Amino acid sequence: MNKLRLGFFKYSCCMGCSYFFAYVHKHVPEVLASFDFVFIKLLSRKGIPEGPFDIALVEGTITEAWQVDELKMIREQSKKLFAVGSCAVIGGIPAIKATTPELEIEKRVYKNLSSIHSIKPHAVDAYVKVDGYIRGCPPAERDLYEALTSVLTGRKPDFPQYSVCIECKLKGNLCVLIADNMPCMGPVTNAGCGALCPSMNRACYSCFGPMKQANAPALAKKFKAMGISRDDIIRKFTEFGADTIEFRKAVETVYED
Amino acid sequence: MTGERTFQKFKRLIPKKAFLLWLDSLKKDYKLIGPVKTGNHAVFKEVDSSEELFMEYGTTMLSPGKLFLYKPNEELFRFAMNGKITIDEIAPIAEKQVIVGVHPCDVNAILYLDRIFLRTFKDTHYEARRKNTVIISLNCARVSENCFCSSVGAGPFLHAASGYDMLLTDFENEYLVEIKSREAEELFGLEGRVAGRDEMRVKAEKEKSMQGKFTKTINVSGLDNIFAENMEHPVWQQTAEEKCLSCANCVMVCPTCFCYDLRDEMSMDLKTVTRYRCFDACQDIRFAEVHGGNFRQRRAARLRQFVTHKLDQTNQYGVSATVGCGRCITWCPTGIDLTEITKEIQRYEPA
Ligand code: SF4
Ligand code: SF4
Ligand code: SF4
Ligand code: SF4
Ligand code: SF4
Repeated sequence: MNKLRLGFFKYSCCMGCSYFFAYVHKHVPEVLASFDFVFIKLLSRKGIPEGPFDIALVEGTITEAWQVDELKMIREQSKKLFAVGSCAVIGGIPAIKATTPELEIEKRVYKNLSSIHSIKPHAVDAYVKVDGYIRGCPPAERDLYEALTSVLTGRKPDFPQYSVCIECKLKGNLCVLIADNMPCMGPVTNAGCGALCPSMNRACYSCFGPMKQANAPALAKKFKAMGISRDDIIRKFTEFGADTIEFRKAVETVYED
Repeated sequence: MTGERTFQKFKRLIPKKAFLLWLDSLKKDYKLIGPVKTGNHAVFKEVDSSEELFMEYGTTMLSPGKLFLYKPNEELFRFAMNGKITIDEIAPIAEKQVIVGVHPCDVNAILYLDRIFLRTFKDTHYEARRKNTVIISLNCARVSENCFCSSVGAGPFLHAASGYDMLLTDFENEYLVEIKSREAEELFGLEGRVAGRDEMRVKAEKEKSMQGKFTKTINVSGLDNIFAENMEHPVWQQTAEEKCLSCANCVMVCPTCFCYDLRDEMSMDLKTVTRYRCFDACQDIRFAEVHGGNFRQRRAARLRQFVTHKLDQTNQYGVSATVGCGRCITWCPTGIDLTEITKEIQRYEPA
């Protein structure tokens, strides 16, 4: 079989997803055997972000105008395009600034604004259609293989869309929200991590972002009843998901109260 | 598991210490599983010695039936695609095991799972484990906050005639041991004191005093139709909107929820696909997704499905699906309570 042409594109993020993809996961040799890495900045300065690509993987939040232009071009030249990692999937950590006016944030961070051309942060799917989400920070190994094998075999990929609680219960963890009164975000967070944090006796902080149709306001109310301060509740829902509709609703609920 | 052949259903009083030592003696042929204390909670798990057991536990988050008989996650087979498809069956994991300290609600829950996995369609994995499992039940000596088994006839003392092996009742320094299967009769070698009419009267008194301790109740009369007639009752929408997170913790902890999902995982070299199954949950949005759409897109419809299937189903298997263990209430992050929802509906519908 001819190798498929793969492009890996990086926008505003820590580049952890590239790193994970190129070095860390369990099946790097198998991936290299099936895909030709035509463009990936982490591994080579060479190459141009021009297609055609059989598969495009995009990491990072979109926070500058040039990124929008390039992303649109990549979309047009790629058969399949997947958002990889929380920044690309939901906005992630760079979207923390989503709830504050741009200029305010810029002035808080930079002395000289002449070289700053940033725009409101958004996930990749705010600008182009995506074929699937490989969620997580860092992304879930299983979901990465699901995306890659689906492209190799021409089938529709299947990603989990249920709560972290389901994974947590399948593992048999004692629930830290109820047993230890920890403000766990698991009930509204999309699965995929295998309930990593609750398995370590920690509350989930929703690095995988909201699950479909998450009822975030109801969880915010629960946190309030547990005695969590308003600011802390807002932080919980804006750490990774500040630009998501689901978590914005929770923030509104808290402000209204 | 019970055989149909006759055996002696003897009843004896055995000092607790002697009973526990007998349990240890089973360890050469069986895995020993029972309640173990962890912090303020108890969990069912395998133990090395009966000394680890915490027989005085209240309830556990997960039921023994859905940990050791119907497994949360189980590989079924693998298939390879090298030109043609070859299937590699995975034999069920079914070591011989003894589960001790199973409360009446959880025994009834296992009997309910039997109806699903051992009747019309036999589930070979479940069946293999069920055959290799000795179930020693323990009548309850205390009522936890959310228990309502007495309202549905599933506890606090066990009355099922068969389908398990032994029944224990706490008699201070002794257990009243009742043999319920041929396998138990053959395994159990302790003499003890024979329990007669007096002891059985004491047992009946203990049960009666337990019956008086329940604070949570449900009135099951008329429940079979009431939900179908109240599909659009405001309690569904209101509870769903204000409280339900669709997290599915209720389904996961429910000892009688039996739905599962089949999933395939393809290896990165594309050579093998593993098919496994794991618990599924009707509270999850994808549960009712079929070709062309999703017939339970509304959160309220999913919450209603869970509650209705637990309480309005004597027509499905001839018994109610809930055993009144209260787990779905205890472990719901927002404390949604199916008995309260039911009362809310019953208020408008005189039974
Ligand atoms: S610990 Fe968190 S993720 Fe796990 S079941 Fe409880 S709320 Fe859900
Ligand atoms: S439990 Fe939550 S915070 Fe932890 S890895 Fe999973 S999604 Fe991220
Ligand atoms: S009833 Fe409770 S446990 Fe069940 S899905 Fe709703 S919030 Fe989660
Ligand atoms: S519905 Fe709730 S109370 Fe009834 S058996 Fe299931 S978990 Fe227990
Ligand atoms: S309540 Fe839902 S998950 Fe449980 S058995 Fe019924 S349909 Fe299945």
